[in-house]
Amino acid sequence: MMQKRKVKAADIIPFAAFIILLIFFAAASKGKMLSAYNLKLLIEESIQTIVVGCGVLFVVAQGSIDLTVGVNLALSGVIGMHVATMTGVGWLAIPVSIICGTLVGLLNGFLVAKCKVPSFTLSIAMLIGVRGIVNFIQTKIGIEYVPDDLRFITTAGFRFTLFAIILVAFCYIFEFTRIGRYSQAIGENETTTRFIGIPVTKYKMLAFVISGFLAGVGAIFSMGSVGGTSMQMGVFLEMRTAMAVFFGGILVTGGSSAKFYKVILGSLSITVITTGLSLIGLSDSQYSESIEGILLLIILFVTIVASRTGGRKKIVEKTPHTKEAGAQS
Amino acid sequence: MSENILEIRGLNKYFGPTHANVDVDFTLKRGEVHGLIGENGSGKSTLLSQIAGLYGSDSGEMKVNGQPYKPHSPLDAYDHKIAMVMQELGVVGSLPAGINVFLGRMNRFSKAGILNKKALYKEVADILEKWDLSAPPLNRNTDGMSIESRKMIELARALSVDPEILLLDEVTQSLSLNNRERLYKLIEKFKSMGRSIIVITHDIEEMIEITDNVTVLRDGAVVGTVISSETTPDEIRNMMVGREVEGGYYRDDYAPDFSDKVELEVRNLTVAGEIENVSFDVHEGEILGFCGLSDSGIHTVGQAVYGLTDKKLTSGTVHLMHNDTYVNNATTALRNNVGYVPKDRDNEALMIAANIRDNFGLPSVHVIRNKGTGFIHPGKVKKLSNDMVDKLSVKTTGIYQTMDSLSGGNKQKVNLGRWLAKDIKLLILDCPTRGVDVGVKAYIYSIMKEAKKDNIAMILISDELTEVLGMSDRIIVMKDGKVSGEMDRSEDLTEQKVIGVMI
Repeated sequence: MMQKRKVKAADIIPFAAFIILLIFFAAASKGKMLSAYNLKLLIEESIQTIVVGCGVLFVVAQGSIDLTVGVNLALSGVIGMHVATMTGVGWLAIPVSIICGTLVGLLNGFLVAKCKVPSFTLSIAMLIGVRGIVNFIQTKIGIEYVPDDLRFITTAGFRFTLFAIILVAFCYIFEFTRIGRYSQAIGENETTTRFIGIPVTKYKMLAFVISGFLAGVGAIFSMGSVGGTSMQMGVFLEMRTAMAVFFGGILVTGGSSAKFYKVILGSLSITVITTGLSLIGLSDSQYSESIEGILLLIILFVTIVASRTGGRKKIVEKTPHTKEAGAQS
Repeated sequence: MSENILEIRGLNKYFGPTHANVDVDFTLKRGEVHGLIGENGSGKSTLLSQIAGLYGSDSGEMKVNGQPYKPHSPLDAYDHKIAMVMQELGVVGSLPAGINVFLGRMNRFSKAGILNKKALYKEVADILEKWDLSAPPLNRNTDGMSIESRKMIELARALSVDPEILLLDEVTQSLSLNNRERLYKLIEKFKSMGRSIIVITHDIEEMIEITDNVTVLRDGAVVGTVISSETTPDEIRNMMVGREVEGGYYRDDYAPDFSDKVELEVRNLTVAGEIENVSFDVHEGEILGFCGLSDSGIHTVGQAVYGLTDKKLTSGTVHLMHNDTYVNNATTALRNNVGYVPKDRDNEALMIAANIRDNFGLPSVHVIRNKGTGFIHPGKVKKLSNDMVDKLSVKTTGIYQTMDSLSGGNKQKVNLGRWLAKDIKLLILDCPTRGVDVGVKAYIYSIMKEAKKDNIAMILISDELTEVLGMSDRIIVMKDGKVSGEMDRSEDLTEQKVIGVMI
């Protein structure tokens, strides 16, 4: 009894949203949007969101949330760059940033999985605390520029190669290994997963470690694009990433709705909106952020409605009405 | 006053394209205990729900005491002295147990918007005492309570309206033996007061025992009504299915029959506050049954053997002989060919919003994956699920259907089947036939018989004594967390004998 998977409305919406947005802004900008330069800019702009989003995906799949990625990226970058500047060994910035990011992720994971701190609460505390530390360090040491022997991280060749490696590796890990499967299972039903004998605590920690690791990698991309550290590093990135994830059609509850491609599409769509608005000359106006917010709201609304009617019956199933009807069908 | 307290004529109910009740005629007399039986999805619960005011009807009429009756809500039904205890758990978890009893009817306990909890709890305690039911702590939130305690709360809610007609939808399924006895007494008392009860249960023997008449439903329509004292379980089973039920039911041999190779050796297993010094062996191809009253700890034994109980509270050894491993946590059990089917299917066993493929695949993921690269071949997971759907004849449109749209019996097939897809040596079954109809029940028994032939050791924990007697090679009876007796399978082992050791 082999059967093709039915494509649900909720699965198409992220694609549709992206295409419609692209066409809309292409038309509104009289084709400028689709020029080679702007398309390259589009990808360039979404790299950070995608890289960091790949990590957040694991956490969201488990039904948790990681809003620490923005400040984690900033902290990792600032420390990495400072070590490189102090020692004079430029490449050290790369491993130091990644290790720093991973350690912050480990701390998050420990607090959520072992100490049972709700991820949302933890995120907010870390968001404020770590940003404070970053600001403190930056006021002490100031902005630092990429040293000459680290210049290669600003080149397109390095950036796109690293980006491609990250994409392939984490797509594989999420879609084709235990880590991804178990993360989805934890989001679907944590008790079930534990009752089967899957070490839930370990995989919950691991998800935050992955998220932290990729925030560290994100720091390299961030410094590569700016040419050094800045006071704006990672600012609002956690919100952008979370938006991208939900925009792509992943439910807050995670589970099987978490898919790798959705993060990519969600990130691209968000970037289309921001770059699109600036291309049609709205970015400087005082309305730009309001417009961005309204667009996001509309698409999130459509996604949620579609996933409720087209896919999952989680909510209605609780009443005996549909129970009986379902049993008979 | 007429003799019939409730009369239903030509009742129809549609759910979209599903015709859930087809021209149902039904009569309930004063002082009558009337059973409703039928396979899952035959429309029993739908019928009760209409009487209780949960759903409206699409056509047909109901009369209570000869007066037209058209309830528009459960509260309206309460006003007509009709109350129902639902199959699905219907309590609000974040509210105290006592509050749940009078939910929506708390006006009379409140003054100027302030609730007199003391008076309310007292009233609830009085109701439970009046009907001789065990009272859970009324000021505690219900979400931490056992299914059984929550059922008691729901019973108290129904009884609080002092009903003339009480509707019980599979209440006994969630109760252990001692509380079932109390419920039977309650039913008798009701009857003697000239009040009426409609009961739904999947346990046919029980049904015949406690009712006066039984109405059988199939595909939403009434097949017929029989007098309980003149019918047999087989007659009812055949009426339900519409044909002879084949392949027997329980085992038809009456002697223990298993290899003398020990698969599982449990010594001095203790979970503080739950079980104490439980020791036993399970042999290859043996079904070891566990039974006991509600506080006996039989369910904890299953969890402890699978390594799910709190490490700090657990001591003793669980030794798997086939590869000489001691189970300390569930991951060890999972990796060493042990399977566990929990009692609470929807909350502990299945990912209810996920699809069939993911549910079948989850316990096997670590076996399917490539040991070197960690690669999980999607095709292999798909094949495993498709094979199991075919093998267990799960009624579904395909492996991408979500679990929540399956019937209870088919869900249970997935719950069980996901372990049979693996190479297991020991299978722990905690109430494997809870809430499934005869057809699926018979099927689950046949699967167990097959597993027995394949030399799989099984632990069968059940609240249904007939099931434990019918399937086990040996029976361990537990009381207050300790082993209180052990019996071998034999022809003259009766329920009475086992109950004697239980109490």
